[in-house]
Amino acid sequence: MTKNPHPTPTRDELLRSSGVLLIVDDIQPPPGLVPKGGTPTPKPKELALFIAVCEDGAVYAFNGHVDLGTGIRTALIQIVAEELDLSMEQVRMVLGDTERAPNQGATIASATIQISAVPLRNAAAEARRFLLQRAADLFGVPVEDLRVEEGVVIAGEGNRRISYAELVQGQHFQIRVSGTAPLKKREDYTLVGRAAPRVDIPAKATGEFTYVHDVRVPGMLHGRVVRPPYAGIDSGEFVGNSLVGVDESSIAHIPGVVGVVVIRDFVGVVTEREEQAIKAARELKVTWKPWTQKLPDLSDLAQALRDNPSSPRKVLDKGNVDAAIAGASQRMSRTYVWPYQMHGSIGPSCAVADCNDERVKVWSGTQNPHLLRADIAWLLEWAEERVEIIRMEAAGCYGRNCADDVAADAVLLSRAVGRPVRVQLTREQEHVWEPKGTAQLMEVDGGLNADGTVAGYDFATSYPSNGAPTLALLLTGRVDPVGAVFEMGDRTSIPPYDYDHMRVVINDMAPIVRASWMRGVSALPNSFAHESYIDELAFAAEVDPVEFRLRHLRDERAADLIKAVAERAGWQPRTAPQQTPPDENVLRGRGFAYARYIHSKFPGFGAAWAAWVADVSIDKRTGDIAVTRVVVGHDAGQMINPDGVRHQIHGNVIQSTSRVLKEQVAFEDSLVASKEWGGYPILTFPEVPDIDVLMIPRETEQPLGSGESASVPSAAAIANAIFDATGIRFRELPITAERVREALHGPSDPGVQAPAEPPKGGRRFSKWLTGSIAGLCGALLGVAATALPFRAEIAPVSRPSADTWSAATIERGRQLAAAGDCAVCHTTANGAVNAGGLAFETPFGKVYSTNITPDPDTGIGNWSFAAFDRAMRQGISRDGRHLYPAFPYTSFQNISEGDMQALYAYLMAQAPTRSRTPEADMAFPFNQRPLLAGWNALFLNRTKHQPDPQQSAEWNRGAYLVNGLGHCSACHSPRNAMGAEKTGAAYLAGGMVDGWEAPALNALSKAPKPWTEDDLFQYLRTGFSDRHGVAAGPMTAVVKELSTLPEADVRAMAVYLASLGTGAEAPAVQPVAASAAPVPTTASLSNGERIFNGSCKACHSDGTGPVLFGVSPSMGVNTNVHSDTPDNLARVILHGIAQPATRDLGYMPAFKDSLSNRQAADLLAYLRHRFAPDKPAWESLESAAAHARANLGTH
Amino acid sequence: MEKTVSLKVNGRDVQVTAMADTPLLYILRNDLALNGPKYGCGLGECGACTVIMDGVAARSCVIPLAGAEGREVVTLEGLGSSTEPHPVQQAFIAEQAAQCGYCMNGMIMTAKALLDRNPNPSLDDIRRELSGNLCRCGTHVEILRAVQRAARGTR
Ligand code: FES
Ligand code: FES
Repeated sequence: MTKNPHPTPTRDELLRSSGVLLIVDDIQPPPGLVPKGGTPTPKPKELALFIAVCEDGAVYAFNGHVDLGTGIRTALIQIVAEELDLSMEQVRMVLGDTERAPNQGATIASATIQISAVPLRNAAAEARRFLLQRAADLFGVPVEDLRVEEGVVIAGEGNRRISYAELVQGQHFQIRVSGTAPLKKREDYTLVGRAAPRVDIPAKATGEFTYVHDVRVPGMLHGRVVRPPYAGIDSGEFVGNSLVGVDESSIAHIPGVVGVVVIRDFVGVVTEREEQAIKAARELKVTWKPWTQKLPDLSDLAQALRDNPSSPRKVLDKGNVDAAIAGASQRMSRTYVWPYQMHGSIGPSCAVADCNDERVKVWSGTQNPHLLRADIAWLLEWAEERVEIIRMEAAGCYGRNCADDVAADAVLLSRAVGRPVRVQLTREQEHVWEPKGTAQLMEVDGGLNADGTVAGYDFATSYPSNGAPTLALLLTGRVDPVGAVFEMGDRTSIPPYDYDHMRVVINDMAPIVRASWMRGVSALPNSFAHESYIDELAFAAEVDPVEFRLRHLRDERAADLIKAVAERAGWQPRTAPQQTPPDENVLRGRGFAYARYIHSKFPGFGAAWAAWVADVSIDKRTGDIAVTRVVVGHDAGQMINPDGVRHQIHGNVIQSTSRVLKEQVAFEDSLVASKEWGGYPILTFPEVPDIDVLMIPRETEQPLGSGESASVPSAAAIANAIFDATGIRFRELPITAERVREALHGPSDPGVQAPAEPPKGGRRFSKWLTGSIAGLCGALLGVAATALPFRAEIAPVSRPSADTWSAATIERGRQLAAAGDCAVCHTTANGAVNAGGLAFETPFGKVYSTNITPDPDTGIGNWSFAAFDRAMRQGISRDGRHLYPAFPYTSFQNISEGDMQALYAYLMAQAPTRSRTPEADMAFPFNQRPLLAGWNALFLNRTKHQPDPQQSAEWNRGAYLVNGLGHCSACHSPRNAMGAEKTGAAYLAGGMVDGWEAPALNALSKAPKPWTEDDLFQYLRTGFSDRHGVAAGPMTAVVKELSTLPEADVRAMAVYLASLGTGAEAPAVQPVAASAAPVPTTASLSNGERIFNGSCKACHSDGTGPVLFGVSPSMGVNTNVHSDTPDNLARVILHGIAQPATRDLGYMPAFKDSLSNRQAADLLAYLRHRFAPDKPAWESLESAAAHARANLGTH
Repeated sequence: MEKTVSLKVNGRDVQVTAMADTPLLYILRNDLALNGPKYGCGLGECGACTVIMDGVAARSCVIPLAGAEGREVVTLEGLGSSTEPHPVQQAFIAEQAAQCGYCMNGMIMTAKALLDRNPNPSLDDIRRELSGNLCRCGTHVEILRAVQRAARGTR
């Protein structure tokens, strides 16, 4: 694969060139999807080019279907190389490009090998016949005397040779596929039917491959889109009609913005660099209409599907079903529910578009380049000829993902800015907006006759899905957002069993959620019902389920396959479940299912046959369920590349096991809430079953599609195995641990969500405020009379020159400044060091830190030492104004004279920065600074610290640092109603700062393990203690500063703090499973567990996961998990840790754009329950999450 | 804030200027044209963006440029090429351990870091190490075999 996205000549260039043999044909392009009741508009026939043999030695083969990561490219190369006697390296396979490849419709239904490869193979045979004839004429020998080796025609003994390239030299041959060129005989095959290594893997394994994500064209810009709030819903009058406005000034501060594009509900940004686009899309202020829509309630899928308007389509009615079922001796009506699922491409969709006034060129990972071209032409109101789609490989999509959406997005952005634009969707956008694999409802009525035969089978299936119009068409209003009905629920709707009385009805219906085909389209859910039901019939008839199936099958190949798979798996006939004795707490079971994937327009045709024997193990207590082994049999006829087929089978088994056990799109208020892999978990390595593949050799049969077949029996096989293990039938997916647990033990996990509480602003400060304002005013006013409210100004001086002090003094001052964290509070995120301006939210209003650089006007440049000393010890500014006690002068009064001098020296020796601090924004009476004099009179003396001669020098040094410069109590001591630090037992007993909880450092510590001197030292030094967790919020900056102090000082602080007795060792608490005991919470622990596993576990695995850069903090010992409030945890989860205390700790991403408040609440509840099971459950978690989300704080 | 940062990438000293909080992933892909690391989630959940930083597997989507300052980063390209693949890459090619291959960067880089640390991992060790790497195509069987093959080769 070259870096150049496309060196291949186009069809028209080849049609015009000389030195070529072209094999062409007139083809009828497929019409695309036709809604129910619509008539397809026939497209004009077009000239398709299949093979081009060129004089430069290149042999091109063209196919309209594309490689979705299934290895189809390799298989097609095998076919072409085989017919033309070329080596595989000699064939350049071009897939999908609209200027090159024929329009053969979308790559769906595993039909590439079965259908679209046929003309290609005929064309290759045509080319071979022509080239051989031409060589024969040149050599004057009969064709029979010629053979071909790697594109060289050889006559007789090999003395006469001519290459294909030479045969076309200087000529232009154009030949139509006649269909009469003889195909190579199977017995002569050297490539087809043998395992061939995939041609793309070496480049992919080394980073040399160009995926669509890797396309870069000169002058390319980066785009991101902002999607509307109707997450994942694409029909209804609000679609394309919900935007109120976009405030472009909201991103004026972001460099590199080239354009903001708004077309109705389509919103996008274009920037020079990718990270700018990410930021711009995140920060762009977009206002949408308030959300008032009433959408169908998706918490009960079966009901939602029943309520969705539908029209029944009877596809089979045989015998007399109603009478037969009425006469059944054992009647069984069953309902099966399939959830909404995601394709879940690992790479979110991406595209590059280059649009000028004449033409647009799009690099896309689309599944259907020709349909996309039509869509884009429609979007631009252009003729299709002006649109070119270059098909690039992307991450696997297993059906329709957002590839087309993003291509259209890129086109709109490129058109707006007149330059090429690359658009990458975010993980959240891909999750929310990909057309889902639809939910489906299968209802079966039937039963057994007294003699154990099947009385009848009445099957109805409801499938709300469609073609999911390309999003930009809907958002811009080019296409009306009306859900169209498509007839696609009928795949494998007719069971493979020959029941005498049988009726099959498809309830065709419009989509509810944006949905489109996904691997195993409707056949997988339909077979879940057919194969679960027949299993139930077999057990009811007391016949072994494999035997029972064979009795009702007429298809011999199916019977052969079933027998072979049963034998391979060592199937033991059974007529009752739970025959495997449980060991300990593990239940084991084994289940069988068989299906053939019947696809395309009804009645369609069959792809490969497949059968499964699945083994499961279930933990009786927790319901945890593992599929331990799958024996899967597969009959795909002739296999072009048996290795490729085997890999497809593996992939199908793993993906479908994942779908059956884990996958279900979560909705909140009927909108898609799963925005990342925690909200939509998929199977991981430790959960992958052992897979034993049995491929039936059928070399003389037609090759059949194998991209989907092996998935189809999955759900029923696993559900049947679970029945075998537990005696319980599961008819709704996914079969999760919580469902199994509930079925075994009754409901334990509330799982039900209480209605969301409205977030309460300022909730965390309520304690400070309650009933205190009046008292506070009184106290302040009362005391003010006896203290000096206004203090004298200290005369300004000119800034002392830096050489006033020795370098040693300045260095000592630097260390002290670090210990005092001056810069932490006196520096804003992007501001100059110590220039002030950082805002502090206090219960009394907002204050800003001051500029402490030596600028004479705005900083402390004209402060004498006396002025500095007074400010530090008494909280009085040089001009006599009182400073708010957010500035911890109550601690700083304890600083020694020498240290104060050094600190002054250091600050004065720094470069001045001119920067005026905003005025504090305090509510009355707190805006009355003189009142603070009274405050000081009350509180300043309480925090005065005296050395303790009974203690070691190290302890006293530590005490001095902690209580003086370190001002630890400023955050870690609770404050009284007047904002003064409490003392005595409350000293260092934990406080709140800027919305963060500063945990107790004294005996009141909630930490599950006591803080030892070593723990404290390690934590203060690095920001991480493996027994306690990682520093976050304001503490990160503190540790950053401390890390520049001499080690002895940090050690001394640790010695002192440890002596405060930071809690006794709590009895060792074992983390418990989510299931252990019911807890009084409204959050769903199971959901929290899922989110933890998908979103958090890679980094917080407690040794059960990978080793990754940075620390891997254990939740079990995390102080925040054991705290009385969830605040710190909620903040860290939602806002991440972008600036860790020290660089080696690693980073934590923010989940605020990926987790809803409800999901965050579930996660918090789970963390608390699992890792602090001895502590009471936290309450009001949704509002805690809402509060944390809204309040990042300034740290 | 824009920042000029020096780091070593695939053995080469490089300097890049960008916002300090730009994820390393975009620096590698856009400034250094290294396509190995892929964007999958941006949340550290899937592993597609994995590189090796100072000898440890690292998720480049959650590490800001500033966090890579002065460090040594190795990407998929830094291991080998299609003509001269690294033994771990060779093992993935030999086992055909890709369907779409989008996850393969993460699998190879994580496996490489594991094998550097533990040349003789058990199958469970490999499963555990890869437990945070997602593959939607279901290539797990081939990937596990590839890592085992690579381990045999490095032994
Ligand atoms: S992209 Fe980095 S872990 Fe998913
Ligand atoms: S091979 Fe496609 S995601 Fe792993």
